[in-house]
Amino acid sequence: MSFTAFCRRNLGFFKLAVASNLEYRLNFLIDSTVQPLVSSVVEMVLWMAIFKGAQAVEIAGFTQNYYLAYALWATFVARITVNWMYEFRMIEEIDTGSINGLLIRPMSYFEYYLSQLLGYKFITTIISFIFPVIFISLLELPTVWTRLPAALVLIFYYLIFVYGMSFCISSLAFFFNKVNSLTVTKNLALWLLTGELFPLDLMPENIKNFFLALPFSCGVYIPVGYITGRIDHSVLLHGFKTTTIGLIIVSVLGFFLWRKGVRSYAGTGA
Amino acid sequence: MSFAIETHEISRTFESYKKSEGLWNSVKGLWDRQVVYKVALKPTNLKIEAGQIVGLVGSNGAGKTTLLKLLSGLISPTTGEAKVLGFNPFERKTEFLKKISLLLGQKNQLWWDITPIDSYALLAKIYDLDETAARNKVKELSRLLHCEHVLETQLRRLSLGERMKMEIIGSLLHSPEVLYLDEPTIGLDIVAQEIIREFLNEYVKNRGPTVILTSHYMDDITKLADRLLLISKGALVYDGTVEGFVEKSENLQIVTYKFEGQPEQRSEITKTELNRFLNTISSKGQLESFKIEETDFEHVIHSFLQKESRLL
Repeated sequence: MSFTAFCRRNLGFFKLAVASNLEYRLNFLIDSTVQPLVSSVVEMVLWMAIFKGAQAVEIAGFTQNYYLAYALWATFVARITVNWMYEFRMIEEIDTGSINGLLIRPMSYFEYYLSQLLGYKFITTIISFIFPVIFISLLELPTVWTRLPAALVLIFYYLIFVYGMSFCISSLAFFFNKVNSLTVTKNLALWLLTGELFPLDLMPENIKNFFLALPFSCGVYIPVGYITGRIDHSVLLHGFKTTTIGLIIVSVLGFFLWRKGVRSYAGTGA
Repeated sequence: MSFAIETHEISRTFESYKKSEGLWNSVKGLWDRQVVYKVALKPTNLKIEAGQIVGLVGSNGAGKTTLLKLLSGLISPTTGEAKVLGFNPFERKTEFLKKISLLLGQKNQLWWDITPIDSYALLAKIYDLDETAARNKVKELSRLLHCEHVLETQLRRLSLGERMKMEIIGSLLHSPEVLYLDEPTIGLDIVAQEIIREFLNEYVKNRGPTVILTSHYMDDITKLADRLLLISKGALVYDGTVEGFVEKSENLQIVTYKFEGQPEQRSEITKTELNRFLNTISSKGQLESFKIEETDFEHVIHSFLQKESRLL
């Protein structure tokens, strides 16, 4: 198989995700814009209330505007770095046997959904990021615009790691059929571990260091902290390192789970 | 002689667990499950020549689809091995997957949210086909199936018959050398069944792929297959021609008769028993009507499957 054929095929999957998601335009617009916007507003109001209640100018060394900028970016970035839609779909396909139609094609299941996930997140990023850009500019909240490209590279690199986790979890469906509860549990844990719930620098130092040693902080805290000026380049580079280690671990685990799972697969359904 | 498909003692056993009735047994199932094994396909030896069209018939759960899944590499065998076009199917090598196609009549394999024409463009990329050639092939196949008008409509908006035609085009786009058709006409009306049957008949005659076809409609088998495999309880019980099977079925005859004032009755008897049967019923009273019919393949298979279902 030539590399050109591989790229052509994966570009096809990438476009498939864009076309399929834009087919249901209302659902797509709500998912990519309204939901994170509502979450942002809730979190920003919460931070304003905290500052007002505490009658403080700074919390952990940062002013209210830093927290508002963090809350605004965090919800939109978290929307990009979470993967439940394709994970649910993969679990469902293995459980019901719909995967049969894909297993007999000359392609790998891993690349099929990875390219789709990247396509879906690519279009979501383009459309949804309009909102934080507008609001940050209007409200003059702290953001270092030149840092945005590097943060986006980390976000998409981390997304591949997230997909690796999804692949491992969905491979478990070969053994246990329905494993959606794992997806929910994982996403709940990530809510805290990524720093979506609140910036990790509000945690006690040792817990913060532990969380930063894990790749999950690249889901929200590191890219958003970097964009909003809370952290410097070294932390961003550290994020690339931890994501790489995480990626290697989930790739090895996913490879074995998949290989064992496919062997025990009963080809459920017709 | 070159065989496109060869199996040696291939079998598959599925593992599941038994759950007894009741809420307590559901709770108990959390820590204690009684594992049960079901042999879906007993050790099977099979040789199919290149270009042969094989009809695979059996009742539900007999092992037809398991055999197709094993030969297409979807599932791994418990014992034995298979060679399809020289490949071990379960290795699912790209070169192998490019040469086969599996059409599952009860599952959509094209993409639900996009139009068939977009699906075919994607399939052309997956199979690394020349785009113009693929487009021309879609045109040709859709013309033969009388469905050019729905190519640009999302799959989810199509009727069952239209969807099946689209699936057939998708499964033939890469000109497979081995084609597995699992109930391609299931649930379709008679006209759609006829169109698909005619199309497949023309296609296999002209292109010559090796075909294994399963269907519950015996017209599909009689029109398309030149070899019949009957499968029962996971084992092949007949391997021969359709005509041979009918002959082997002891030349069954259907006798329909009616005594005065009584409802019509039907019996199936062999030719050798016919005289004795006629003597018996004529001694029972005055016959109002009497008819003898030769059984056809459909009927013989029906009787066979009925018998098998009772035994399952």
